[in-house]
Amino acid sequence: MTPLLLSILTLLALYGVYIAAITARQEARPADFLDGAQALPGWAAMFLLPALVATGLGLETQLAMVTRFGLQASHLAVGFVLASMAALLLWNRMWYVARVAGLSTPGEALGQFYGSVTLRVVMLGLAVLFALPFSANLLSSAALLLEGATNGLLPRAAGVWLLAISLAIPAIIGGWRATIMTLAMQAVLLALLLPGSTILAEILASAPGFPAAPIPVQDGVLWDRLPGVIQYSAGIGKEMPATGIFTTVALSSSVIGLLGIVFSPATLYLGQTASPGRAVGLSTVWLAAGLLTGIFVLGAPLLATRMAEGPLALAAQFYAFEPLAGVGLIVMLLVGALLAVSFFVTGGAILVTRELVIRYLFPELSEQEQRFSARVAIGFAFFLLAFMASFVPLVSAVLGSVALPLAVQLLPAFLGLTFLRWISRGAVIAGMTLGMLIVFFTEPPGLILFEGLFVNLPWGRWPLTIHSAAWGLAINLAVVLLASAATLRAPDNLQRNRLHDALFQATGMAVGGRGLFWALMLLWSFLAYGPGAVLGNTFFSHPIFTSGEATLGIPSLWVWQILFWLLGVVLVWWMAFRVGFGRTSEDSIRSIELEDGKRVRPDWLAAGLDRVNGRAR
Amino acid sequence: MKPYDRLDRHALVMAIWTPSAFVAATLLHRGLSSGGDWWIFSGFAVIIAAFVAHIIANAVLGKGFTTGERALGIVAFAAALLALLLAVLVGPPGLGARIFLPVGLGLISLVVAVVAYLVIAFGARGAFEQFDVVRDNNLRPASRLPHRGGRR
Repeated sequence: MTPLLLSILTLLALYGVYIAAITARQEARPADFLDGAQALPGWAAMFLLPALVATGLGLETQLAMVTRFGLQASHLAVGFVLASMAALLLWNRMWYVARVAGLSTPGEALGQFYGSVTLRVVMLGLAVLFALPFSANLLSSAALLLEGATNGLLPRAAGVWLLAISLAIPAIIGGWRATIMTLAMQAVLLALLLPGSTILAEILASAPGFPAAPIPVQDGVLWDRLPGVIQYSAGIGKEMPATGIFTTVALSSSVIGLLGIVFSPATLYLGQTASPGRAVGLSTVWLAAGLLTGIFVLGAPLLATRMAEGPLALAAQFYAFEPLAGVGLIVMLLVGALLAVSFFVTGGAILVTRELVIRYLFPELSEQEQRFSARVAIGFAFFLLAFMASFVPLVSAVLGSVALPLAVQLLPAFLGLTFLRWISRGAVIAGMTLGMLIVFFTEPPGLILFEGLFVNLPWGRWPLTIHSAAWGLAINLAVVLLASAATLRAPDNLQRNRLHDALFQATGMAVGGRGLFWALMLLWSFLAYGPGAVLGNTFFSHPIFTSGEATLGIPSLWVWQILFWLLGVVLVWWMAFRVGFGRTSEDSIRSIELEDGKRVRPDWLAAGLDRVNGRAR
Repeated sequence: MKPYDRLDRHALVMAIWTPSAFVAATLLHRGLSSGGDWWIFSGFAVIIAAFVAHIIANAVLGKGFTTGERALGIVAFAAALLALLLAVLVGPPGLGARIFLPVGLGLISLVVAVVAYLVIAFGARGAFEQFDVVRDNNLRPASRLPHRGGRR
């Protein structure tokens, strides 16, 4: 398999170089290297977003989890629908923020809106966290898979450096636009290979698999049902619930954790630099909520069952049947990880260049120099990435584990920026600080650090089977609500009101007054992955209004997942095309300028003075 | 036209054809090497699906096939046809008989797909005029007048 696999990977790398070269050759302005002229093709963002959402769970990780825990782990995929909704809301508003106020990066948007350098630093830190440890962990896993697939011909460390170089060169040549367009192709490749591999695995199978046979989980684990609403366990590492960890509370909190991928700086930057149009709506409704969730809900249990002995065993079986199919399976798993690596490292390096180098260190740089500094930053970032992945993979895994839940702690800050004008700077910073601390001490870095330095903590990772993102967010939101109530008349609310008024003018959409939609949304969330999901365990096999049993031939929980996936698509469609978040347009945009920490004249006062002075606007 | 429009369209076309080509190659290779007409039919179905996606992309972006794309398509089709003929004439015994029908039908289905596209996009007369070079040989401006047949 080795020569064929390496040939295909080389072709993929050459594809990236080709797209990068033609992008660089047609570059209209040097500064376009950093933001794709703020007009990335809608189709690229449309294809890439679902693939990024999938990296929140991790393709290989999710398949391994389903192999280990069965349908209770597969239920996590229903959370893609919520991630799609979050992406829809945030991308829409962040796109308008970039056009209305000229705040073209997520850090700049938060920093300028709240008048806070702290928030800029936090966004920068998150960009680095996603670009280095999070991506290094993914790269290390990909190189490990490559080592296995080549029977050790390409050792893990060598694989790390080769893969990093193959990703770095296109990014250095072509910048943001070329990277996004290359990754969009890889997203299409994933969309074809994932269902294709599942179908082929079923065709080649000699014995019946799921749903005719149970998913081969460990003894005691409930493979076809959720193990209750909550389990009073101290947390992973201290105590492992015998029936499985995915209670409904674990599911809903993990889904909240999954939102971290949407709040990651690079993902938001992608939304901000996309062209106007309907791509966001089409992507979130039909590709993320529809296709991606469908592939995971329907296909993951089937593929995971066939992958019980690991992906390499299945790839070998495929290879014996058709060499390209065996290589395709390995390429699918590699691309699933490398796509995220390329995206977060390139995006992170560009954001660091824009928000640190260009803004603070060398503000006088010309456009050519900005492009050069971005190229240096991308090269340096890929070097650090490969260094971490090859020499400190464990540290990368430990640090990378907090990237998603820490990003979720920015939820109140983004809510304040995009929808709720009464959320104040002090409230955001206080809530975020506490939330991040709680995340840190319910995830491996904090636990290892504290227990190494002091005493053993009574809790492990995700105590009470609640994901760290939810622990942090609960305290975060409580602090934000209380603090915002106390600071309703804070002096910075003029600045906030100006942006929100301009956003409303540009979009013409109010979030309130959609009672039926939000009521259905809450009901759906409660039943799809909230405590109500436990009803799905037996709802279709032991109907509650009759004493008889229904013989479906498939687990009741699987039917429940499919049902709520389809209902979820309807809700996302409603939000995108009925409420209107699925479209962006430059037609009604009236630009404003937010000023950093200075007193600003209200717009109505400025307009009045202009009229008096005969300079009507 | 914006500065990156051509580049964006080209990248989209590449993003459609590259993954599709890999999947089609997998299916066709399986079908050609080990037999199984359905694998070959599936391979051609993937190619037709990619062609349809290309047409949709053209329609959304308001563009048509470029000269390079047309040339590449014709050359690839001719190469496939030639390869089939060579396989039948000089290939290993039995190979030609085994693959002639499914590959021949697959190639015919590609032609049918292209003709169907032309007829839908340009109408029956317009589709014919795409190839009617004889009508285009009169360079005089008067040949364009409607009462002279509206040539060119």
